[in-house]
Amino acid sequence: MSVRVAVTGLGCVSALGQGVQANWSKLKDGVTGIRRLSEPHPDQPRLIKDGPAAAIDGVDTTAVEAFAGRKVTAQLDPVAAYAVVATHEALTAAGLIGDAATLASTFIVYGGASGGNATMEEGYTRILLKGQSSVHPLTIPKTMSSAAVSQLSMIFGIKGVAFAISSACSSSAHAISEAAYMIRAGRTKVAIAGGCDASLNYGSWYSWLALQAMATDTCRPFSIDRKGMVLGEGAASLVLEDYDHARARGATIYAEIIGAGGSSDAGHLTAPSVEGASAAVRAAYAESGIPTDTPVLVSAHGTGTPLNDKTETEVMRGILTGGLDRHRVIATKSAHGHLLGAGGAIEFLLGVLALREGVAPPILGYIGPDPECDLPLALGKTEAFEADALVSNSFAFGGLNSVLIAKRG
Amino acid sequence: MSVSQDSILDVIAEESLVERSALTPDATLESLGIQSLDIISIVFALEDKFGIVLEQSEFEGVTTVKQLVDIIEVKANAVAEAGAAGAEPAAKA
Repeated sequence: MSVRVAVTGLGCVSALGQGVQANWSKLKDGVTGIRRLSEPHPDQPRLIKDGPAAAIDGVDTTAVEAFAGRKVTAQLDPVAAYAVVATHEALTAAGLIGDAATLASTFIVYGGASGGNATMEEGYTRILLKGQSSVHPLTIPKTMSSAAVSQLSMIFGIKGVAFAISSACSSSAHAISEAAYMIRAGRTKVAIAGGCDASLNYGSWYSWLALQAMATDTCRPFSIDRKGMVLGEGAASLVLEDYDHARARGATIYAEIIGAGGSSDAGHLTAPSVEGASAAVRAAYAESGIPTDTPVLVSAHGTGTPLNDKTETEVMRGILTGGLDRHRVIATKSAHGHLLGAGGAIEFLLGVLALREGVAPPILGYIGPDPECDLPLALGKTEAFEADALVSNSFAFGGLNSVLIAKRG
Repeated sequence: MSVSQDSILDVIAEESLVERSALTPDATLESLGIQSLDIISIVFALEDKFGIVLEQSEFEGVTTVKQLVDIIEVKANAVAEAGAAGAEPAAKA
């Protein structure tokens, strides 16, 4: 493909903090955003969110309000608020905030595993728990899967093609790959890609509990005695841009997306497939043109569930060549939790920063090797690691896989 | 305890995202950028706050801030007085 795709803006919010710098510095320092919740439902005390989670305690929307000139975020569901602050940061970093001419043709492709869960839960609480007869008039526009996309368009004046992509925990990785393809196809010069999720409401909590996928202690990717995932929340936004367009306007190029690969397992609703995931990784490598012995930093899906990490190990051991030690595997969910529909984007974003700085931030919660997870893991403290490329994996429930490969800009 | 116009205006400002200082009595809802769906959201919040019920026919002709506040004030104070007298408030909720 002749059109190259640059990453020219980054923004994120998670339990690690608001902003790329806050997230990156805590990740490098080995600080986790995971803490134990013990929150009874205010109207039904027998319901308790009790366990580890990576929750956000609120976002600072001052900069967004100052830009918009009015209180545009006050009524947003958390999922949209996260998307808005992350995108404000990304557009600012790209030097495009308020650039009406460019934003008039900018696309938005944004992932989410669900919509406004807090608003949905509030509505159900009113009618089913409290016996009230009405819900907020904006319940539909706040809970629809594309709610955040509409807010991004309205608040920042983005007028190109805009829609949401939903593929569970691969949503935002798929969004990035599809946005990159749109730029390669010449459909747009600039696209906002990423994802958001806010699923720490009671309904989601109990649903994940029922699935028996949640850890009771913490997230320990690729470790012995790992017990499962830890729910997080947040958003990550990237500005993708035609490389020549970015160069011509003197934009900072954080990375170049050189490959994307996707596949579907056509298998089990929750169990991962070595064959399916491998197909996505191989497709991304094929598109990137880099050989599999190129030293890479792998930003693993790394959920911390027994089966995912074992499967991902088998996948990567089957693909990486030239000796495993020339590669390094990071798993940032151990710090920011599982951001579900935003996971692929924040893990790619943090991988880009690691690639640029030539470091590998440590996997947290690790208590010992599992023979079934024998990978070159980044453990202990942040170490220097010069990779030639980043491979970012997302393997979602339902067997929907998306893998991104990038190199330094 | 009676319901003050100030407390009504506080709810309108919070729900409409209009600066509290802009909610002058004669200001029209249209001039404040408050559209029909916004009015429904405001009424929803006022119903919740003051335990009142407004039918759409009661506010569909409202064009100014004062008209809306007056309607709510009468309704809310009726509910507050009924509550003070020990009666059940006529809350929709």
